[in-house]
Amino acid sequence: MQVFSVPKSIKQNSNFTFCSGCDHGVAIKLVAQTIDELNLQDETIAIASSGCSVLLYDFLDVDCLEAPHGRACAVATGVKRAHKAMGNNKFVFTYQGDGDFASIGLAESMHSALRGENITAICINNTNYGMTGGQLGPTTALGQITTTSPKGRNIEYHGFPIKTAEQIALCDGVSYSARVALYDIKNIINAKNSIKKAFEYQKKGLGFSFVEILSSCPTNWKLSPKKSHEKIKNELTNIYPLGVFKDINND
Amino acid sequence: MIRNFIISGSGGQGVLSIGTILANIFMLSDKFVSFIPCYGAEMRGGAVNCEINASDEELLCIQNKEVDIVVALNQTSFDKFISKVKKNGTIIVNSSLAKINKTRDDIKYIFAPLTQEALKLGNIKTANSIALGILSKITDNFSIENVKKAYEKILKDKKDLIQKNIEAYFVGYNYIQER
Amino acid sequence: MNKELLKGNIAIAKAALNCGCNCYFGYPITPQTEIGEYLSKQMPANKLAYVCAESEIAAINMALGAASTGAKVMTSSSSCAVSLMQEAISYASSDELPIVIVNVMRAGPGQGYIFPSQGDYNQATIGGGNGDYKTIVLSPSSVQECIDLTYRAFYLAQKYRTPVILLADGLLGQMAEAAELTENPYPEIDNSNWRLDGAKNRPSREIHSLEPDQNKLNRHIVKLYQKYSAIEQNECDYEEYKTQDAEVIITAFGTMARYAKALCNHYRNKGVKIGLFRPKTLYPFPYKRLNELSQKAKIVIDIEMNMGQMLKDVRLAVLSNAQVAFIGKPVGDWLREEEMINAANNILKERYASI
Repeated sequence: MQVFSVPKSIKQNSNFTFCSGCDHGVAIKLVAQTIDELNLQDETIAIASSGCSVLLYDFLDVDCLEAPHGRACAVATGVKRAHKAMGNNKFVFTYQGDGDFASIGLAESMHSALRGENITAICINNTNYGMTGGQLGPTTALGQITTTSPKGRNIEYHGFPIKTAEQIALCDGVSYSARVALYDIKNIINAKNSIKKAFEYQKKGLGFSFVEILSSCPTNWKLSPKKSHEKIKNELTNIYPLGVFKDINND
Repeated sequence: MIRNFIISGSGGQGVLSIGTILANIFMLSDKFVSFIPCYGAEMRGGAVNCEINASDEELLCIQNKEVDIVVALNQTSFDKFISKVKKNGTIIVNSSLAKINKTRDDIKYIFAPLTQEALKLGNIKTANSIALGILSKITDNFSIENVKKAYEKILKDKKDLIQKNIEAYFVGYNYIQER
Repeated sequence: MNKELLKGNIAIAKAALNCGCNCYFGYPITPQTEIGEYLSKQMPANKLAYVCAESEIAAINMALGAASTGAKVMTSSSSCAVSLMQEAISYASSDELPIVIVNVMRAGPGQGYIFPSQGDYNQATIGGGNGDYKTIVLSPSSVQECIDLTYRAFYLAQKYRTPVILLADGLLGQMAEAAELTENPYPEIDNSNWRLDGAKNRPSREIHSLEPDQNKLNRHIVKLYQKYSAIEQNECDYEEYKTQDAEVIITAFGTMARYAKALCNHYRNKGVKIGLFRPKTLYPFPYKRLNELSQKAKIVIDIEMNMGQMLKDVRLAVLSNAQVAFIGKPVGDWLREEEMINAANNILKERYASI
């Protein structure tokens, strides 16, 4: 029998404020479990971003710094490099949405990856701007209806979406880039393993590590939590295939 | 007393080098000094000039409408900066690269074939130091020690050039006397 | 005295290193690029943090991250690119993070050109970011002051946990003068009670500007303003020149103040009781002292290399104590002594027949 308990790195008495059925809670729990397993709690500085991911510091019991919208990877670069300059090796990761990481912050994200900053970025991809009520974002799928693409994303008006994990994998400074999902137990375990590998690679100093997590957004998708997970399983994974796109130890 | 200078030419002629050396000589002589480089839009390759001010008192105006002495190392800078010479001021012109032409009669001219004189010394790049020698002769009797110190400071990475340039400086210094 | 001929930009870079700056993030822009170039040689050699950032936006955000660790952080840029940093300056002000931001001003608006200018007085003192915040702004007028005020910028940033702008101009950045790299006169400030270095044997810490609780956000901003009050109370700095008996007071900042001092000498020789008041802190602006001086004055002439940005602060200080006039020129060649004299003659001739 396995006994589940709240991870040590989750703040006592904190309640997730996410919408019901949202995968943010699961993702944060996986991050916290990994911090516990790798014994990183007292050496971690987490970088929160803008969007639903901003409240990270309400839940995670580690040192946390909020970044301006999109700039989490630049902020993480500053934190990591400053500590290095002072002779410290701290664990630094960002927790961002797809709008933050791949739209407004694409330059900072991509250049941190290109430089091979020894940080980890976790990107929650729910294919829309969730906090502002579900607008078209860089990852909104072709045909997907949002409040700013009421007739669905079309190429003529909105152009193509970005396949973030594949793009990041192309950067020379990257040690690990994967896309995972949280729609069933198998995938949750798989996601956890990816997060763990990404964190371990940073600990080993291998460069920029990246995990894109396909996540549900029942509220803005206007679907039940169950239907949202089915959508990820049956539709989104066809557009955004799950897998490891770069692993420096296998390449 | 405030004295001001413009040194002008093209990139590669050592305009900023002798400007910096001149500023350093003044500093070593316990003067207040300012040095302002100025490049054209083409930055390091094209026209370049610098303005040096030296004074016994705190320097307040660091860019001036007119200056006491202009050094023009080529035709373009001669044409451009002749208007910047104060009345009764002096322009030192490299006559190897500029035509002898006196368009103003309220200033003094020193035409010297700096490039040819430099070639005689075996290094074309010392033309700037010959100009500096001429300039120092008509400005101030700088202490030889300070001149050497300034060259040693600026050319510290190129020791072989120090002696050559000081030699050139004295060619310039004695140039007017010989004429 | 151990003086050397130093460019303003290099003087700033040297002073930063001399007072313990261990993080620099920047992106090239004329006329301040030498700061980054100089530090790119020195900092990696000493294992300090140095990043050629992909943009000024990235640079200031790296600075924000680095500042949260308690490091001594600097970024440098110029005018149009400092505009790109405004968002993060607003964040850092709310986050109470010490960052030294050097702005070696060029001409604007927009791209403008690399001519020296003082067109960013408003951007620096009022702030280009959103919300209720203020930024300490120091204004050097010589290469020696580039050194002195860089030290002070780092000190005030740490002391008050707030961004500090060192507002120089292109002329000062590019010109060389004899200056001495003195020792940093300021004490170190302990930051162990707030920096983010991992929650080891202490509760975890969070630094953020987001605050969904209205009362908390109100309290936070009021607390920031209490800090600004203390800064206004304690940190006003200025230079006075021949102001004891002055009937005419010139106000000017930065490099322009040197020309203004020459103007004072010119009119003193003609028997005009004239003096110079030069704020060295543009925020906090020394209203009180200028107000005192203006009570004995007949006319205050503000001289700037812009269309009159400090002018509004001068007016706020002078109130109706004296007439306020303005001489300025936005860009191009520096406002020369002759130009200033012509303009000042027009203002002063009614009152002083002797000129």
